[in-house]
Amino acid sequence: MPMFESGDHQHSPLIHLVDDDQAVRDSLALLISTVGLRVQSWADPLVFAAQFDRQSIGAIVLDVRMPGVSGLALLGQLMEQGVDQPILMLTGHGTVDMCRRAFKGGAAEFLEKPVDDEVLLEALQTAVRQHVRLRAQTQADRAAQEHYAQLSPREREVLALIVQGLTNKEIGRALELSPRTVETHRANLFAKLEAPSLAWLIRRYAPLTEL
Amino acid sequence: MNWKRPGIAWLLAWAVAAGSGAAWLAQQRLQALHDTFTTNARVAHRLLSQQLVQHDAILATLSLLQPALGADALVNAGATGLSRLYPQVLGVAQRQADQHWPASWPEALSHLEQQSRTSGHAHMDASRLADGKLYVVQAGQPASYTLKLDLRATIPQGEWPYPASHSPVRIWLSQNGLDLVLQPGAADASASGWAWAVQKTLSSPSQVLELHERYKLHPRLLPWWSMLAWALACALVVAALRAAWQQRAARQRAEQLLQYGQIARLNTLGELAAGMAHELNQPLTAILSNSQAARRLLDDAEPRVDAARQAMQQAAEQAKRASAVIGRLRRLVERPDTATQPQAVPLAQAVTDALHLLEPELRQRQVQLQVQLHAPATPLPTAQADPIALQQILHNLLLNALQAMEAVPAAQRQLHIQYRQQGNDLLLTVQDNGPGIAPELRERLFTPFATTRAQGLGLGLTLSQGLAESMGGQLRLVDSPALRGACFELQLPATPSSSGSGSGPTSP
Repeated sequence: MPMFESGDHQHSPLIHLVDDDQAVRDSLALLISTVGLRVQSWADPLVFAAQFDRQSIGAIVLDVRMPGVSGLALLGQLMEQGVDQPILMLTGHGTVDMCRRAFKGGAAEFLEKPVDDEVLLEALQTAVRQHVRLRAQTQADRAAQEHYAQLSPREREVLALIVQGLTNKEIGRALELSPRTVETHRANLFAKLEAPSLAWLIRRYAPLTEL
Repeated sequence: MNWKRPGIAWLLAWAVAAGSGAAWLAQQRLQALHDTFTTNARVAHRLLSQQLVQHDAILATLSLLQPALGADALVNAGATGLSRLYPQVLGVAQRQADQHWPASWPEALSHLEQQSRTSGHAHMDASRLADGKLYVVQAGQPASYTLKLDLRATIPQGEWPYPASHSPVRIWLSQNGLDLVLQPGAADASASGWAWAVQKTLSSPSQVLELHERYKLHPRLLPWWSMLAWALACALVVAALRAAWQQRAARQRAEQLLQYGQIARLNTLGELAAGMAHELNQPLTAILSNSQAARRLLDDAEPRVDAARQAMQQAAEQAKRASAVIGRLRRLVERPDTATQPQAVPLAQAVTDALHLLEPELRQRQVQLQVQLHAPATPLPTAQADPIALQQILHNLLLNALQAMEAVPAAQRQLHIQYRQQGNDLLLTVQDNGPGIAPELRERLFTPFATTRAQGLGLGLTLSQGLAESMGGQLRLVDSPALRGACFELQLPATPSSSGSGSGPTSP
């Protein structure tokens, strides 16, 4: 597997660089590595699509003109497969139409060769930041769902009413429970959801109770 | 492609034109024949009616005057003098109260005499109509009279509208199921089929006879020669139209092919440009990235000199790669094997051809064209050139001139093309009165990609100059003597034989 790894620590973001031209690949990899990003180079777009690590944090740089499969076609495939890394398109002869198609197809950025280092590195860092945020958001969503699954049916009813802004007394009246029982449910669900505050609880779980 | 369809369409057009014309001719002829027939029928009816009315008058006179008739009058009417005036009267009979009608005459006469006595006018016996005999009786006092008539002789020869011997119209009389043919008509006049017919009652108070006239129509009555001539004329016209149409289609096809050729050339150019961009962008990207990476490596707090050196090495190699790409491209474009040998090209013909190609553009822009090619009394000079290359140069120059003149009003657009011979060279100038070439552009006019047009590549003049030089000539911008726009001068070597005359024509 063609691989060019650099960077100091294994957990720094990983950039996948796909270009059939070795000179271009090597020079761009060197340039990207100077800002501390790890780079994995791929000569064959089909090998890349089959083998690259989809869990890695980072971004993908795709050349438009490659043998076997065009960059735009590969972009479409990756988006269809739900790849969440931001994808930067790189082309030697960009037209307005190609640019429009790239952005419509879900590209995060469309750059023309030869590309200036400032432009490329800035675009890559923006993309990586975006991806980190996206992954954190998905992780938080998943945790919230797991916690929510642990609640009893009664606790979910109470949570739904808390999120709507009702007091313990009002909740008791609505569910025909004593305020004391409501208080117990409330304490339990705060513990199960690891909620530090009521505001946090409402912000995080309001969407889930509406499902 | 289906070539039969247009052929059938032309055939159909001819059939419609020839058919409708022939039908009109036939209709005219038939109309004329019908008019004649109905007129003649009316005339015949009136003549016969007049004759019958005369019989009434004769009988009335006889019964009034009561002349004594000899016995031979029964047999020979000539004795009475009547048959001299009226050839149809065969005999006259007189009957006194105690006498009988001649025995050979119909028995019904006595009965008819009774009726005549009651009604006061004559009555007829048509029982021998088939033999052409008719008896008309008029009761009188003391004697009654009967005329024996030969109806075949009633036709007044002088006035009869038909030529008796060969008229195609069949004419006959009928009464009570009996027929008498007065005129047989054509041999098949009574045959069934397409015919005109008239039936009228002869208007005499005593003699009630039906007159029939029938004209059997025959295909040979139609004006076949005129119709044939018309069809041939139509065929000629349609053939001429078809030829003109085909010529026009061929011309359009040629123009389209020319356009396709131009588009194909543009497409090839576009692909070439895209391929070139890719081929050059790859090494350029590597050079740029390597050198920028090297700078970053050297800018580090701890400069990584070795890595930077390696990057610079890479950049240099990529620069050589880019150079190789350009070398390859040049060899591709030059292609010495496709260049044709210079040959003697008549300059006038080359200009005419180039103008012909741009004729629609010239007309559309209302350009006033002035071509001065022929210096009188000298043979047409020929240039030693590659005809295709010469065409390309002329096309480029003319196109440039046309586009430059879009900036001036249509009424003022002028294009001058002139030539002169100077020693062993031919000089051809193309002048326009557009805005001319801006001073800052003059310097780099023939360098690639110098253009003032938004859609232009800026390769036309570069290419043209290259072509002129490859033929041993030159293309340059000169000061325009007559017009204020641009003036380009193309210099080409003259064909040795045509330049040998010595005294070259001078410029007009």
